[in-house]
Amino acid sequence: MKQAIRALSVATTALWILIVLFSVTSIYSALKLGFGFERTEVSASDDVLTVSMSFFFDNGGLYDISNLNVTTDLNNHDGTRISNSTTLVPLISRGSRVERAHNISISMDDIVTGDLTDLLFQDSVLDIAMYVSLKYAHAIPLQLSFNTTIPWGAPLANLSIGEITTIDIDPAHLQKTVPISFENHSFFALNGTVRLELVDRDQSVGAGTVNISVPPMTPCSTQVEVVVRRNAAVPTKARIYFETAAFSFGPVVMPLG
Amino acid sequence: MADVESIRNWLIKIAPRITKAVIKGFLWFLLLYMVPMLILSMVSAPIDFFQEYTTYIGVFAAIAVFFVVIAELLSKTVFQHACNIAKALVMMVFFVHALNGGFLTVNFETIRISVDLRVYLAMLLAISFLGLAKSALQTLNFLSEKITDDKLPTH
Repeated sequence: MKQAIRALSVATTALWILIVLFSVTSIYSALKLGFGFERTEVSASDDVLTVSMSFFFDNGGLYDISNLNVTTDLNNHDGTRISNSTTLVPLISRGSRVERAHNISISMDDIVTGDLTDLLFQDSVLDIAMYVSLKYAHAIPLQLSFNTTIPWGAPLANLSIGEITTIDIDPAHLQKTVPISFENHSFFALNGTVRLELVDRDQSVGAGTVNISVPPMTPCSTQVEVVVRRNAAVPTKARIYFETAAFSFGPVVMPLG
Repeated sequence: MADVESIRNWLIKIAPRITKAVIKGFLWFLLLYMVPMLILSMVSAPIDFFQEYTTYIGVFAAIAVFFVVIAELLSKTVFQHACNIAKALVMMVFFVHALNGGFLTVNFETIRISVDLRVYLAMLLAISFLGLAKSALQTLNFLSEKITDDKLPTH
C-alpha cells in the first residue's frame, strides 16, 4: 500500500508542477499576443460592395494558436441581416505574425430586392457584431465578441425632381428637361446612368438617359432631356432607373407637378 | 497543582506542532498567494480587470493554508487523513465554482471575452481525485498499522 501511496504522491506533485507551469506560461504568452485592424478599403463591383478590413495577429507567446475565425454580422437596425462574413486562419505558429484581410461583402442585390430599399434613400444606423474565436495552445477555446453600430449613408438621399421646362425642337416634338437631384451619402461612388421615363396612365410618353459620376459624400444635380411627341398626353409620373457599378435599381416612381 | 503540571506537559508536547504548523502555513501562503501575485505583477497583467479572479487566488491560498495548518496540528492521528480527504473535496468544489464549470466570461466595456477552460478544470479535478485517493489509502494504511500495533504482544 505504501508504494501505491508514494506513486500517487509523485503523480499528484508532477501534475501540480505541470499545471502551474502551464498556467504561468499561458498567462505570460497571452500577454504577448497582438491583434488589430490596420486599414479599411471599400470597393464596388458586380452589385457587391466589399469592405476589406486588414488585420494582423502577432503570436509572440509560447503556444500555437489554431482555428482563428473572424466573423462579422451586419444587421439593419430592425434586425434584418445584411451580411455575414467569415475569415479563417487555420494556424498561427508561436513567434509568427499573420496578416489577412477580412472582407465584408454587402450584396446590393439583396438590398434592392429585399426589405432594405429604404437604405438607398434614408440614412440609417447598422448594427455590427464581430466575433473572433480561436483555440489557444490546441487546448483552450477562446472567443471575443464585440458589438457596435456604424452609420449608413444612403446613396440616393433626398432624391427629388425639379421644375420641368419644355422647349419646341420641331413641329412634331417637344423637349422636356427634367432636373433630378440627390445626395450620395454613401462611402462608395456612383458611376453609371440614370434613365428617366415620363408616364401618363401607365403609358410611356418618352424617356431619356444621363450619365452620372458622383463621388462619395457628394450631392448630385443633373438634368435628363426627354423628347416627347407634341400631341402626347401630359405626363403625370416619372419612373427613374439607376444603373451603376454598385447597384441597379428601379423604377422609382415619382409624381410630377 | 496536578492540573497545572498536566497543562504544562500538554503545552510542551503541542508547542512543536504549533510552531511547525505556523511555519508550514506561512510557507504555503508565500507559495500560493505571494508568488502568484508577484508573477502577475511582473508580467504586467491587468489585475484590476480580473479582480474577481485575483480574489479567487486569495481564497484558494486560504483554503490550502487552513488545511495544511489543521493537518499539521492533527498529525499522527487519523484526523490528519480525514482532513486531507476534506481538503480534496473542498478543492474540487472550489475549482468547479471558481472556473464556473469551465466557462469563464470577462467583459471589458463593449468587448466580451469567453474562455472554455474545461480541459484545465479536468486537469485540476484529476489532481484532486488523485489527492482524494491518496488520502483514502493513507487512512486505510494508518488504521491497519494501528490495528497491527495494538495486536502486537508487549514484552
